[in-house]
Parts: sequence; structure tokens; C-alpha cells
Amino acid sequence: MHVTSLNPRFVSVFLRAEPDAFSEWVISRQSQLIGFCVLAIVAGAGAYGAVMGSWSCPAQALYAGIKLPLVILLTTVGNGLLNGMLAPLLGLNATFRQSLLVVLMTFAIASMILGALSPIAWFLVWNTPPLTAGTHATSPEYGLLQLTLAVFVAYAGVVGNLRLLPMLAQWTANVGVARRVLFAWLAGNLFLGSQICWVLRPFIWDPCGPPRFIGREFLHGSFFETVFEIVRRLLFQ
Amino acid sequence: MNENNPTPPQFPQGQPVPPTQSAPPIPPIPPVTSYAPKPLGENPEERLPITSPIQAIEAILRQPRRVMYQLRQPGAGPLMMYLMVVAIFCAAVYGVVVGTFSMHDQLWIAPVKIAGGLLVSALICLPSLYIFTCLSGSQARLAEIYGLIMGMLMLTTILLIGFAPVAWLFSQSTESVNWMGTLHLIFWFIAALFGLRFLNAAFSHSQAKSNAGFNTWVVIFMLVVVQMTTALRPIVGTSDKFFPTEKKFFLSYWSDCLRLDSERPNTERNDYQRR
Repeated sequence: MHVTSLNPRFVSVFLRAEPDAFSEWVISRQSQLIGFCVLAIVAGAGAYGAVMGSWSCPAQALYAGIKLPLVILLTTVGNGLLNGMLAPLLGLNATFRQSLLVVLMTFAIASMILGALSPIAWFLVWNTPPLTAGTHATSPEYGLLQLTLAVFVAYAGVVGNLRLLPMLAQWTANVGVARRVLFAWLAGNLFLGSQICWVLRPFIWDPCGPPRFIGREFLHGSFFETVFEIVRRLLFQ
Repeated sequence: MNENNPTPPQFPQGQPVPPTQSAPPIPPIPPVTSYAPKPLGENPEERLPITSPIQAIEAILRQPRRVMYQLRQPGAGPLMMYLMVVAIFCAAVYGVVVGTFSMHDQLWIAPVKIAGGLLVSALICLPSLYIFTCLSGSQARLAEIYGLIMGMLMLTTILLIGFAPVAWLFSQSTESVNWMGTLHLIFWFIAALFGLRFLNAAFSHSQAKSNAGFNTWVVIFMLVVVQMTTALRPIVGTSDKFFPTEKKFFLSYWSDCLRLDSERPNTERNDYQRR
């Protein structure tokens, strides 16, 4: 079966995530699989990003449609070395390339789920009161939109990772090792991915002005620092 | 860690693959077993000499038992040298990433302090590790223990290189010295856990009757490294002087940094930490 195109038959086989088929592709069709995964990420995450940005304006939809796949690909590359080292150290004897490919496959599955959820997200965006001069960062409609879109992303990410668990378990013959490796990758990708999202913000709307590809303060502060400050303010002030 | 599984699976590249239904069973990726008390060198591949730094890196990630075995053999000097050189190189590379937070002089000061600090910490702790392991009944020689410590440092610093892209991104994003210092410490702690695991596995082959001495040493080593970061401060921020003029215990220094960070406005926050 041709792996390089997004034909529906292959997509369904890919989403079923049968360990034998996955292992075969990882072993024998690496470059084709990389091409397919990148295509799936660009299409799936791109569609979802565009829906997120469409609440604000078409330009923001275009920017978010480019930025969301970019976040995923930069996270994969940025953590590639670390993930490749953690795999053998935690008990999975895979090469760097295989580790990179498996992480890419989890993101591809997550992106396909996001792509499939895009129409629902679009329906939500369409039903949310439009952006007006009276809308601000603490508006309830904006909060609900943010929350729902974030839940979709979290769901896709978790399912994408869990689908790969049977294959890793088959490789290691030990579910515990597979879980440890998957958890380490998930934690590392979440950590870096959050910060890359923070740098490439805004995705939905820039309350400070007209849409831009990257906000004015893109390298100012970090995601976790901001969360820590908010929690500190809430608890101690 | 994959000590009983010395080579990664070799997969055919670029060969046509029949449809899934008729494909022969996929050879499973060999399972990786935990550190078993099998004698070192039992697997013939563990007896292959390590002849270059690249081989040393590959071996410590995928065949740690090979490194342990080779360190026991006569003429292990070159291997120890590889381990030390790679550890210093990787620490220096990570140091450059640490230095990108403040730029300018910190681009060379941070690598020098990190590589030098780690090496000096290891050398300071070497005699105590030798004594503790002897007390535990281990038959490891001093040279072997030196090699194992270098192996631990190499594994730790290689992992730090893996964290480097993440650290660099945060360095460019945040302006808080406290935040970056904490992040670097977390990365070092995670990497050190893997390094210490290697060391622990090596000692399980040295006929030691108890782990108490080793565990005590681990605590001492961690404290020494953390104190070294305070003794060589500032590593993340900047200063006019290479070494600090005031002596401080690391807990007292951290406490001062946190207190001043919460008391002062943003623009003044980092002045103290940068001294």
C-alpha cells in the first residue's frame, strides 16, 4: 500500500495502529512514512489551526494554520536527540531514526484526530459571539473557546500516544518499559511544545492589535513562568 | 538499560515489502532486559574493544556493560581518556547554551565553569567513593572507579546535550535568572539520575555486599555538585569577577535569590543574582 499519499484506505490502516503493520513500516519504509506523517501533520493540524484563528479574522486563520503544524514539527526535531537517547536508556533498543519516526507517528495520529475534529471546532467557533471591540481577554466566550479548543488538543495528543503503546510493547516485550518510554517522550514533548506554542503565540487572537504571524512579545517570558506567577498570585496575594 | 542487547536491530533499508497480509512475521525488536547479575563479558560483543570516542558514546547509551567490562581490562587508559574528553566536551557545549542567556563573556565563562566544576566535583568525590566501595566489600580498583565516574559524567553530559535545544529556547524566552537556574538544575538532576544508574549497575558487578556506602556517596556527590554551582556563581547571570568574593552555602544563596526576587520590582530583580 502506498504510504506517501493521504488515501483514505491507508489513513484507516494507519489509525488502526496495528502493531505488525506499524513495525513493518518503521523498519522498511522509513522515508515514505516520514513523508506521510509530515503530510498528515500539515493537513490535520493545519486545518485545526486555521479553525482556531478563524474566530478572529482570515489572516489569523492563515497564520494559525501555518503555526500549529510548525509547533509540532519543531517539537519533534527539538526533542529528537533527547528522545533518541531516552529510548535505549529506558529499555527500548531503537535507533535514533526509529525513535524520531515513532514520535512523528504519534503526532501524525494526533493531527489526524485534530483534523477530524476541525468541523466540530469550526461549528463551535461559528456559534461563539464574534470578536468585537468589547471583547477582552477575560470575556467568558473567549474563555470557553480557549478551553474547548485546548481540550480537543489534549485529547488528540493523549490518544495519539496511546495508539503507539501496543507497538512499543511488542518491540520491548514489556508493557512497563513501553509505558515508561512513552511517558518520558510525552512529558518531554509537552514541556518543549508548550514553550514553542508560547513563543509562536497568538493562535486565536491578539488582544493588543491587528493579527501578526508572531506576537510582539514572542520571546518575552516563558509558559511555565507565567503559570507559576499566576498560581503564586492566586495563592499568596 | 539495554546491557544484554548489545546491538540495535538491523533493519533492511529500501527493499520492497510485500503486502501486510502475506508478509513474513516481523522480527521483533529484541527486548531490553534490566541489569541482570550476569558476569560481565559473557556476551562476546562486550569483549570488543572501544577504540574511539564515538564508539564510547554509542556503547554507553546502548551497551553499558561493554563499557563496564572494558574498564576492567588492562590497558583501559585510552577508554578512560575518551570518557573524560567526551564528558568535558559535552559539558562545555551545554555550557555555551547556558551562556546564551546572558551572552557576551558568559559564552566562554559558563562552559569553563560547568566543565571545570563537574570535573573537580568528580575528582573531589573520587577518594570517598573508593573508600566507601572498599568498605562495602567491592573489589574494584581505583583506576576502574575513576573510569566509572568518568563514564557517569559522560552519560550525564550527553543527556544534557539532549536537553540543550529545550534549554536554549527557554534561555531566549525568559529574563529571570532564578527560573533559568532552576530549569538547568532540573535538567542536570534528570541527567545525573541516569548517570548514577550506570554507576550503580557497575557496582553491582563488583562483588559489593552492601549498597549503603554507594548510596551515601550519591548524596554527597549531589551536594558537592550543587554547592559547586554556588561556589562558581554566577553561571547563568553575569558578574565583573570570575569567582565570587563572598562565601555562601547553596541553600542560603538560593533563599536570598528567591526572597529578593519576590521583594523587588522586575527591573531590579536580577541585579543581586548577577553579582
